[in-house]
Amino acid sequence: MEQISVPGGETVFVERLENGLAVLVLPRKQFVRTYGVLSVNYGSLDSQFQTAGQGVVEVPPGIAHFLEHKLFEEPDGSVFDRFAALGGSVNAFTSYSQTSYLFTTVENWRESLLYLLEFVNRLHLTEENVEKEKGIIEQELRMYADHPDHRILSTLLENLYHQHPVRLDIGGTVESVRRITKGELESCYHIFYQPGNMALVVVGDLDPEETCALVRAHYPRREPGPSVERLDPQEPSSIVKPWAEAELPISRPRYMLGFKHDPIWRGEELLRMQIAMALGLRLVAGRSSQAYAELYEAQLIDDSYWASFRGHPRFAHSLLSSETDEPEALHERLRGIINRLQASGVDEGEVERLKKGFFGMFLAALDSFEYTANRITAQYFEGTPYHRYLEILQGVTAQEVHRALCELLDWERSSVSILRPVKNHG
Amino acid sequence: MKFTQHELGPGVRLHLCPTDKFKTLTCKVFIQQELRPWEAASTALVPLLLRRGSQKLPTTLDLARQMEELYAADFGSDVLKIGERQILEFQFQMIDPSYLPQGNMLMRRGLETFWEIASRPYGNGSFHEPYFEQEKHTLLQELEGLVNDKRAYALARCTALMCQGEPFGIYKYGDADTVRSLANQEVYGHYQKLLHSYPLDIFVVGSQAEQAAQLLAELIPGREGQIQLEPAQQVEVGQPRYFEEHMDVQQAVVVMGYRTNTSYLDEDYYALLVGNGILGGFAHSKLFINVRERAQLAYYVWSSLEGSKGLLTISAGIGPEQQGQALQIIEAQVREVQEGRISPEELEQTKLGLIRSMNSMNDSPSGLIDRNLIGIVHDRMRTIEEVVESIAVVDRKAVVRAMEKVQLDTTYILRPSPQKGADHGTD
Repeated sequence: MEQISVPGGETVFVERLENGLAVLVLPRKQFVRTYGVLSVNYGSLDSQFQTAGQGVVEVPPGIAHFLEHKLFEEPDGSVFDRFAALGGSVNAFTSYSQTSYLFTTVENWRESLLYLLEFVNRLHLTEENVEKEKGIIEQELRMYADHPDHRILSTLLENLYHQHPVRLDIGGTVESVRRITKGELESCYHIFYQPGNMALVVVGDLDPEETCALVRAHYPRREPGPSVERLDPQEPSSIVKPWAEAELPISRPRYMLGFKHDPIWRGEELLRMQIAMALGLRLVAGRSSQAYAELYEAQLIDDSYWASFRGHPRFAHSLLSSETDEPEALHERLRGIINRLQASGVDEGEVERLKKGFFGMFLAALDSFEYTANRITAQYFEGTPYHRYLEILQGVTAQEVHRALCELLDWERSSVSILRPVKNHG
Repeated sequence: MKFTQHELGPGVRLHLCPTDKFKTLTCKVFIQQELRPWEAASTALVPLLLRRGSQKLPTTLDLARQMEELYAADFGSDVLKIGERQILEFQFQMIDPSYLPQGNMLMRRGLETFWEIASRPYGNGSFHEPYFEQEKHTLLQELEGLVNDKRAYALARCTALMCQGEPFGIYKYGDADTVRSLANQEVYGHYQKLLHSYPLDIFVVGSQAEQAAQLLAELIPGREGQIQLEPAQQVEVGQPRYFEEHMDVQQAVVVMGYRTNTSYLDEDYYALLVGNGILGGFAHSKLFINVRERAQLAYYVWSSLEGSKGLLTISAGIGPEQQGQALQIIEAQVREVQEGRISPEELEQTKLGLIRSMNSMNDSPSGLIDRNLIGIVHDRMRTIEEVVESIAVVDRKAVVRAMEKVQLDTTYILRPSPQKGADHGTD
């Protein structure tokens, strides 16, 4: 196996199996838990694609998430029971670009790992069990719809994107989920759930060679799928609309500002941009920034204020959000703060201090198996070098941060989403 | 992994876990008091005020910058509710000194900063007045904001309705009217009393736990005597009560509150823990299997246990038109467990699951520390090994004995308004 040193004295062991599956193992001495996650490079964005046999296919939004639910069904009982009998627990999640199945256990990690590989590589669908899942997913979607964090983000993404599927909920809509058929689920499973399109990450106090050998010997054989090309619709660089408001039964208004970017970065360049923007947004929304102090003093933000850059090979945007009594006033102030920062430049001392903080956060995060494994997976799929994070961080300069803020925080490509309390509430 | 205990004087206990397993050094301090309306609100204000600034670092900006200089050290403070106690928590985490240049110097500076922020808030014999007024406002917003998360809101409403008039009915952050009435001097006085005379526990996990503890022992004040605290009230259940509230929501949230008549110090406690697990603690539990997988009435449905006061709560998000059916299935599952219709697999899987969760605490400094809170409150600490042993010996008979004592007290449902525009809040 290839050994890659990670800061903090740890090593990631990597091997690409003959069938194409990437196996990444991060041994952690003294830990009692083992965490394993098998992920498919397939998420809610992949609803339009082209295969050798079928030509261009468009499926209803929400298929990746629907499949995630259905893989837990087995002809002879549920996957949950099998893991429970081994003393472990199992779960899964779907994102824009990834579907992940994970277990955590203290005992029987080998059996648990093998069963993870087994159940993800087997699909058991019947007309009946597809239909019954629709009711459960509908309740899940309704639960999110009642949640303000979720609602404000979906509204904002609809404002920013004309065509790109990132504008849709990961789970789809109640209507699109009702349309999904057994045949579509099977076809997507066959196309995307191929070892060459998947990665396994295991973290725990275990021997990496043994782990890899186990996977190599037992990974289920799969009938190879057709080669597939994902088709992202042509997304105009403009936004859809600059402002949108909605009402929910909440206690006070919420404000979210988004900037749309062209997803032009790949590999190390993407990681570098992720770091530069993370640092830059700290100057707008970090607790150690003048901006935070100014907005807090003016009582325009509270503890809920945050900002983040989401940069992926297929989409990129920056988001800033807070609860606030005066969304318009907050928007005006933020405009001023960002314009000032773009005009004045970025202080080198400040960036150096922030970098110390990022160094600490990176090391501390290594103790969270879930966070680290998911990060290793996501970075593997998006092709950014996880192990070089600190090295690249050290190299990012104040000028670079400033340039990123100037280029990416472009008001012409920004939009605002506001949630207000329902008038009759309270 | 185990903590060693040291008495630092009356009412001050030190719990140490030296280990090089983690990348961080973690310290937590807990101060406990009885849950009372005025004290709860006053104490809830303290964490908000501490993060505004200290004598040496008078603004949030100064605090945040100092933390970044310490490689993303983290100071946190909150109040917790365990049974009928409210606990004021201070926590500090930094990269373990063994990973830092001049680690020991940074650790000393870090711990001094920790205690500076926790014990010397900005102000002169009281909190800085502008901060006090602003943070009162923040706390009020926090209380009003509870409604934003419908699940958390429904849970809090059910608890408040069920335990009206009991200390446990008090929300951990107090209530809005009391918060409005708070005066700076009095809150500051109470905070000083907490620091100087209420029972205090210090936990340290890290490669240099002993050195860190020594530094903290020098910083944290000793105390003359210890205030004795009252145990939680036990209440007789009358007729089950039912409450409904209407809001403009898509999904109905059901919360059912049961009295278990068993708590942490009782013999049946671990049997109750297993019983709750069989009922609704896991994805293999009766509630999940029957309400979600078989009847497809919910995306989430679970039960959880408050082991100090002795409450069991069931929570589910369901389609509003399926409410009757869902309640029926939920109650049937409770009866199943009470009447002992539990398969050997259910029992075994649940015990394994609970034992796994318990052993997993070994892998997180916070998990290692926080699991002791209930032990502190009841003055009976138990090691992970002891708990695992107690769970392992639970059998079906013990589960039935514990679960037979569980009684439904209050059902609360948050539902969509019958028609749009209707008023909310019709109990």
